[in-house]
Amino acid sequence: MEKSILLNSPAMFFFLFFVFFCRSNLCVCLCPQVYPGLMVTAGLIHYILNLLHVTVHIRDVCVFLAPVFSGLTAISTFLLTRELWNQGAGLLAACFIAIVPGYISRSVAGSFDNEGIAIFALQFTYYLWVKSVKTGSVFWTIGCCLSYFYMVSAWGGYVFIINLIPLHVFALLLMQRYSRRVYIAYSTFYIVGLILSMQVPFVGFQPIRTSEHMAAAGVFALLQAYAFLQYLKDRLTRQEFQTLFFLGISLAACIVFLTVIYLTYTGRAHKLQPVCVFLLSRLHSYAKIHIPIIASVSEHQPTTWVSFFFDLHILVCTFPAGLWFCIKNINDERVFVSLYAISAVYFAGVMVRLMLTLTPVVCMLSAVAFSSVFEHYMGDDTKREKPPEKAEEGLGPNIKSIVTMLMLMLLMMFAVHCTWVTSNAYSSPSVVLASYNHDGTRNILDDFREAYYWLRQNTDEHARVMSWWDYGYQIAGMANRTTLVDNNTWNNSHIALVGKAMSSNESAAYEIMRSLDVDYVLIIFGGVIGYSGDDINKFLWMVRIAEGEHPKDIRESDYFTPQGEFRVDKAGSPTLLNCLMYKMSYYRFGEIYNEADRRTPPGFDRTRNAEIGNKDIKFKHLEEAFTSEHWLVRIYKVKKLENREALDHKLRSVVSRQKYTSKKVSVFPLRRDGFSCSLSFMMLSTTYSSDPHTHTCVK
Amino acid sequence: MTRRSAFVAVCLLFVAALSSEVSADGLVNEDVKRTVDLSTHLAKITAEIVLSNHGQSSVQSFILAVDADLAPHMAYIGASVKGDEEEHGTLELQQTSIQGQRGEFYKVLLPSTLAAGAQLKVKTEMMFSHVLKPFPTQITQAERQLVVFQGNHYLYSPYPTRSQTTRVRLASKTVESYTKLGNPSKTDEIIEYGPFRDVAPFSEDALKIHYENNTPFLTITSITRTIEVSHWGNIAVEETIDLRHTGAILKGPFSRYDYQRQSDSGISSVKSFKTILPASAQDVYYRDEIGNISTSHLQVLDDSVEVEVRPRFPLFGGWKTHYIIGYNLPSYEYLYTLGEQYALKMRLVDHVYDDQVIDYMTVKIILPEGAKNIHVDTPYKIDRMPNQLHYTYLDTFGRPVLVATKNNLVEQHIQDFVVHYTFNKILMLQEPLLVVGAFYILFFTTRGIAIWPAEVRMKVASITEQVLTLVNRRLGLYRHMDEVVNRYKQSRDTGALNSGRKTLEADHRTLTSEISSLQARLKTEGSDLAEKVGEIQKLDGQVKELVCRSCSEAERLVGGKVKKETYIESEKSLTSRRQELISRIDSLLDAL
Repeated sequence: MEKSILLNSPAMFFFLFFVFFCRSNLCVCLCPQVYPGLMVTAGLIHYILNLLHVTVHIRDVCVFLAPVFSGLTAISTFLLTRELWNQGAGLLAACFIAIVPGYISRSVAGSFDNEGIAIFALQFTYYLWVKSVKTGSVFWTIGCCLSYFYMVSAWGGYVFIINLIPLHVFALLLMQRYSRRVYIAYSTFYIVGLILSMQVPFVGFQPIRTSEHMAAAGVFALLQAYAFLQYLKDRLTRQEFQTLFFLGISLAACIVFLTVIYLTYTGRAHKLQPVCVFLLSRLHSYAKIHIPIIASVSEHQPTTWVSFFFDLHILVCTFPAGLWFCIKNINDERVFVSLYAISAVYFAGVMVRLMLTLTPVVCMLSAVAFSSVFEHYMGDDTKREKPPEKAEEGLGPNIKSIVTMLMLMLLMMFAVHCTWVTSNAYSSPSVVLASYNHDGTRNILDDFREAYYWLRQNTDEHARVMSWWDYGYQIAGMANRTTLVDNNTWNNSHIALVGKAMSSNESAAYEIMRSLDVDYVLIIFGGVIGYSGDDINKFLWMVRIAEGEHPKDIRESDYFTPQGEFRVDKAGSPTLLNCLMYKMSYYRFGEIYNEADRRTPPGFDRTRNAEIGNKDIKFKHLEEAFTSEHWLVRIYKVKKLENREALDHKLRSVVSRQKYTSKKVSVFPLRRDGFSCSLSFMMLSTTYSSDPHTHTCVK
Repeated sequence: MTRRSAFVAVCLLFVAALSSEVSADGLVNEDVKRTVDLSTHLAKITAEIVLSNHGQSSVQSFILAVDADLAPHMAYIGASVKGDEEEHGTLELQQTSIQGQRGEFYKVLLPSTLAAGAQLKVKTEMMFSHVLKPFPTQITQAERQLVVFQGNHYLYSPYPTRSQTTRVRLASKTVESYTKLGNPSKTDEIIEYGPFRDVAPFSEDALKIHYENNTPFLTITSITRTIEVSHWGNIAVEETIDLRHTGAILKGPFSRYDYQRQSDSGISSVKSFKTILPASAQDVYYRDEIGNISTSHLQVLDDSVEVEVRPRFPLFGGWKTHYIIGYNLPSYEYLYTLGEQYALKMRLVDHVYDDQVIDYMTVKIILPEGAKNIHVDTPYKIDRMPNQLHYTYLDTFGRPVLVATKNNLVEQHIQDFVVHYTFNKILMLQEPLLVVGAFYILFFTTRGIAIWPAEVRMKVASITEQVLTLVNRRLGLYRHMDEVVNRYKQSRDTGALNSGRKTLEADHRTLTSEISSLQARLKTEGSDLAEKVGEIQKLDGQVKELVCRSCSEAERLVGGKVKKETYIESEKSLTSRRQELISRIDSLLDAL
């Protein structure tokens, strides 16, 4: 959804400016997690094209950025595989990455996503790294650093690079494969890469502060020490060397020990920062247990076998073979690809989303496997001087043709599968739903855009919309309104507060909404058409997240029946039947008859197949502002306070007023359009301070 | 030009001064039939006036007056002569003023002079926008929309009126209240006032009608119409429209349930409307900032293309929306040419919906790059803005853009404008040539870059070819040497053996040195094949050694220094080793 922010470039530059401004002036928690790479790339392409009077709209640039970059990814995969194996494997790898569903999901036109360009940057960085380890030339290493810099500016997954490359170097050291080339490559890469990565505003000083970058620093120190020892070894006698070695080892152990003590003492060792949380969620399931928000995202669920097969198809079976080929004929760069494969497999197993980092390496190794098999079975006999082996003598040609046919068939099936997945899973926009009538005509359910566009056109420019965070980007992009929480909100308490408002009863929710200055509440309700991804189905996550922060007010068990079921019908728990989310979803739904099936009672929820339990829903503080055609999106307006009765006592003093306004400002989360937001704070503060005057008038 | 206009102005002043005097005693409205049509959100006031000249002299014009209260809202005014045999001839109007009187005045120039005592039937038409005020200004979804119209019972005219009737047509039967001057009669949707006799000039009497009007109160708050002309046969039209429901504002909640279940709920809201596009319109699109609007239908008729425009959401009072509609037209229907002269004749504003009101319109006409001597004829007065430049694909110095704006337009403004310009046809080739040139440069430069490795590759290939032949020749030398040795074993001719050995040595040396020089060349080309060639050289050295040894063995055999069995034994091992080495060389050669 970032694309709409980008609709014109001044807005983008303002936005980028805001990011900088934000970093320098406001506290860190307000800073949105924005990697500038994607926007800078799109903006730059747009700028250059327009400079040449190719007047492409920035929107079109954004839409086609991912396909263009997927082409570049294929090229860099080819280059990398060629370095690892040979040209034939490179071509196969490029073919695989071009169609593999695991990567198609990020490279379809319109997916303006960090990942789209990041995979290119990842592959290209790896290619340059392999090249620089092979040649030991500073030229390639500097290229690698620049590519790494681009990756850092584009995606948080750069952590993968900065851990994998040191791991590679470390493995080389262990395998006694240390050479001058490795020394040159890594020393250059670490220093230049570190300095460059610190230039990215969002990353800043993280590379020298956070734990996920420490491995790189450690390997750097180790490499220096190793090189130094190598140097000494040439100069000193054996006896001298041994004494020095032990002295050095004990000194190093001492230093490490003291450092650990110091870090623990200052509490920096486990300083959890947002990115760190992300990494943690990769590394083990810590986050899954402790942070419901991360667990609530379907992308952060552990990968199932089905999705491995769905995303990679035959490659998932052949890539271990490729890995085996690589390990069998090991050299420096194959050590790298083996480590890459093993770590990526692990990460992909932890989280569905990281399937993306696995896909390229799977393509490369499968290509190696296929290419070796083809080389063996399709090679031209006449060229070979060697007489055929005895075993192959009789069956040779038959086996060859059978194996070749089998392989080709596998590849064919892979291509068919990729086409099928692409057309079925990744080609339909999620914001427009389609249904088919009995006669085959298509019905388009454009409710999301209907409601978002209504918000955009018919609400105040500074209106603040409360919704569950899933819709944050959509509201920001399509409705152009400020949201309380969005897809990029890392502040758990904001999300929990919204969850609390949704799961409280109306009057309690009204207090929260007033304190958050909410003007509209937007929910998704699929009960009329049977859309399963609606807010009631997500509701338990809201409750859980709210409970995490406000255990006194919200308890998950209250929302279940005594039998432990989550039901919306009459048997449902009264807390559920009276909470804000329930009331907003089912307001006036009790009167509606299902047109398709007249036998069902009024108020029959087609998603949950139940007649709703609370049909008499009245609002005191809210009113229905808009409901889309198929009831998919419902927007409620939060009423302002009614005129209070005349006060007997004196007007509030100035001091207390200021207190009130400042409280407002601090509670309100600053979001996407921070500048206009802060403007609206000012306006709000003025309205609040003028409030007592109105009262005097009333009096 | 200026002198002529100055002359016209002087004439006008003179005529104006004269006519006000003349009219004061000359013209009389004999019979006036006024119709106030309030059935839509516009007020259309038409009047059929029988004008008679009671003065002494003939007149060439008469004055048409607009009520002061309505004048600011007037979108259109027109007058035509209603002859018996002739169809309505539209008359020319010029704005003027009458001292001491409120309102706006237009002087209507008659086609022929009206002689003293003669009569003329004139039809006047005025359109007013935003004069029907919703009252109450806010209604709930279930309520009906009531509006108030305030006007004049009489025809506002600078001439005395002998007899007149006023007929008011409403949108519905339901009327809250209306002024009852002269005991009007009301049947269904029509209220008839009058006849009034002998009304004095400039007489006003407030007419006020409060009635139900649920017709769509749609207003186009702003429209930008862009017409882009391409000489390659296409005219692209795009309209960016801001639409607002200017009726009574929706108060309280909007309930989708009521809207779907009750037919009269939200009766004054707008669900959809029809836009009529030209018959040749193609590739119609209807979209907004967030993409295609999927709720529209297109119907191609014989004489037009109808788009059923349905905004994303129904428009209630006070709600607004914004959309873009665009289409392509073939240029042969609108673009006329004579040599280098071109004329574009198109509608300045087109139909958006029936009884449309446009508050503010901007028209942009983008002419092809290189159009000169631009001259615009408009059907009515519009405000021209300074020309702009527009850059699109492959433009170098920009396309001229004519920009014009106008406020308050209605259906009557759907008229044609004409743009004349000259264009050198050679310029049409500019953009294709630009592309050709760019590709030429691209290919040239990439060839320059790409040719370099290709050349190297070819060089390397030729060198390896030479290496191959040389190595093969060298291997041939060994075979030759074998033959020499065999012959020696039979003939025992030491001289022949020595000479054979000598030639072998000499040939071998030259060949080896040649190969080394080729190897050095390969190395300078940066090819890794040089290493392989080096390996071949090394292996070859060994082969050579073996050959020499087998040669000396043969010598020793002939000399009787070794036994035959041992010789055969050693010879066997030597040949096998040689075979091995040669096969390795061959495999290396294959790899080259």
